[in-house]
Amino acid sequence: MRPGPAEAVAAAGLREQIAAQFGRSLHIRTLDTGSCAACEQEIRLLAAPHYDLHRLGFFFTPAPRHADLLLVTGPMVRAFEVAARKTYEAMPRPKVVVATGACALGGVYQSDPFVHGEVDAVLPVDVWIPGCPPSPLALLQGLGVAVGRLAEKTPGLTFIDGGGA
Amino acid sequence: MPLWFARGLRRGVVTTRYPARSDPSAASLPTPPAFRPRQLTLRTVDRMVAECPGTALSRVAETLVFDVGACTACGRCARVAPDAVAPSGEFELASTARPALIKLIPIRGGER
Repeated sequence: MRPGPAEAVAAAGLREQIAAQFGRSLHIRTLDTGSCAACEQEIRLLAAPHYDLHRLGFFFTPAPRHADLLLVTGPMVRAFEVAARKTYEAMPRPKVVVATGACALGGVYQSDPFVHGEVDAVLPVDVWIPGCPPSPLALLQGLGVAVGRLAEKTPGLTFIDGGGA
Repeated sequence: MPLWFARGLRRGVVTTRYPARSDPSAASLPTPPAFRPRQLTLRTVDRMVAECPGTALSRVAETLVFDVGACTACGRCARVAPDAVAPSGEFELASTARPALIKLIPIRGGER
C-alpha cells in the first residue's frame, strides 16, 4: 500500500482534520500482530504515573469501534491479517494507523509464507515509530506527531557523527 | 492554596504537555548508531552489513544506506568498528513518511 501523490495530499488533509478534531482527546486501540511483547510492555508503561498519557488526552480503549488510532506492533503474521483488516474496518473515520517497533517497520522479519514482514503491507500506515522496543517517551512523541501536536525530528537527523565531515 | 499547587508553580512543571526536558533515564537507552564517514572503509562497512541482524544496513557503491526504522540498536556494528560508530543518543524518531527514516552515509575512508 505505497501511497501516490493524491494519497499524500489526502493524508495531509486527514492529519489537519485529526489535529482539529482529536487535538485534545484521542482513543487508542493497540493491536499485536505477532510481536514479542516488548513493545506492549512499553505501551503499558505509558499509563503509569511517570508518563501518564491520560494527562495529554490519550486514552486506551478495548474496542476498535471506539478507537481513533490503531497502534500496531509486530511483523504482521499472515494468520492475523483478516483480524487486522476487520479491526481497521471497524474503526470510525477519520482514523490513524501507527506502526510501532522495528518488526512493524519491516526491519526484523523478511516477507515469507508466515509473516508479511511489515504492517504497511496490510494496513495504510500514517506514522512510523522506530525502536526495539520504542521507549515510552518515543511512543509519546510518536502519538504527538500523529495528532500534529509535535514536530518530527527525523528529517533533520543525518546519523553522521561530527557534522557530516 | 494547597501546598502542592504552590510547589508546582515554583518548579514550573507543566504536566499537560510533552516533557520539555528528556527523562534522566533516556541517557541510558540504547539508541541507533551515528557514523563517522572518514573512519568508514568499504571493508569495515561490508563487515558491519554482514553483522547487522536485521535489514538496517546495506551498501550501495560508496554509500552506506542506514534504515533507522529497521535498526534495533543492538550495537553489533559498533562492535565491528568502535572508532567509526557511536550511539547517536536520538530516540524520538517518529516519522510520517517511511523514506524519511532512510539515511545515506557517505563512505570516505577508502578501500581497506
